[in-house]
Amino acid sequence: MRIKLTSLMVDDQDKALKFYTDILGFRKKNEFPAGAYKWLTVVSPERPDDIELSLEPNANPAAKTFQQAMFEQKIPLAAFEVSDIEKEYARLASAGVVFTTKPTRMGPVTIAVLSDTCGNLIQLYQPTI
Amino acid sequence: MLLAGYTFRNLCRARELLAGSPEEHLSIKSIAREVAISPYHFIRQFEAVFGMTPHQFRIQSRLDRAKLLLALGEHSVTEVCMEVGFSSLGSFSDLFTRKFGSPPSAYKRRARSMVQVPGNFPQELFPGCLSLMGALPAAAFRNFQEARPFPLR
Repeated sequence: MRIKLTSLMVDDQDKALKFYTDILGFRKKNEFPAGAYKWLTVVSPERPDDIELSLEPNANPAAKTFQQAMFEQKIPLAAFEVSDIEKEYARLASAGVVFTTKPTRMGPVTIAVLSDTCGNLIQLYQPTI
Repeated sequence: MLLAGYTFRNLCRARELLAGSPEEHLSIKSIAREVAISPYHFIRQFEAVFGMTPHQFRIQSRLDRAKLLLALGEHSVTEVCMEVGFSSLGSFSDLFTRKFGSPPSAYKRRARSMVQVPGNFPQELFPGCLSLMGALPAAAFRNFQEARPFPLR
């Protein structure tokens, strides 16, 4: 058993693809039509054959309620590891990304939290050990 | 941009107001006032956080609600249009078609043919993407290396 795929709900798949590729810098791996929606996945350019992230529509009303509540409670729904968090923070902030937490040391990691414009908060982290 | 904690809370509150009931229709200006942000900054910050303007968000919320009401099948298209806060059936129908790919009347017919137990929605109407995996071509499961036609040098 391996962890090869995970997913994140987004309020608009086209908008999400733009944000996750053009802004965050991931690469699109798959885009197949699936009814009114798409099977849409992105990967990290640093490890394209590693884990895939599916950008799933939050079309289900229950998904929307959950996503909104987590956002309001400032709870990130995914975390991506970075090698230089200060550099990423500066790069993304200058691209117009909104952060709710600037790079902050928390025990063995430095974290920052951003809004993905699709209804989620995302945590970036850099291990400091 | 680093958002202050109180601005984050105010923008979340504004999002709730925008999605609120159409009877309490508040202008964008009055919502900005309600959450104590100038209208210019309100629109700018809302879009930076949620990826759409307050007006676009309000339209999207209404269309999502309309979709749900149509799937429930208890109201006519005109009733749903008024219920969610649109005043023109024509613009409701246009916006709905543009967002969901079929006119509200066709969506309602399709939904009614699928919903067998009232209040219980089939996967096809409100899917979770992972459940659609079985309909994908084999290429979706190849990794980048295998999918390349020639080995990279």
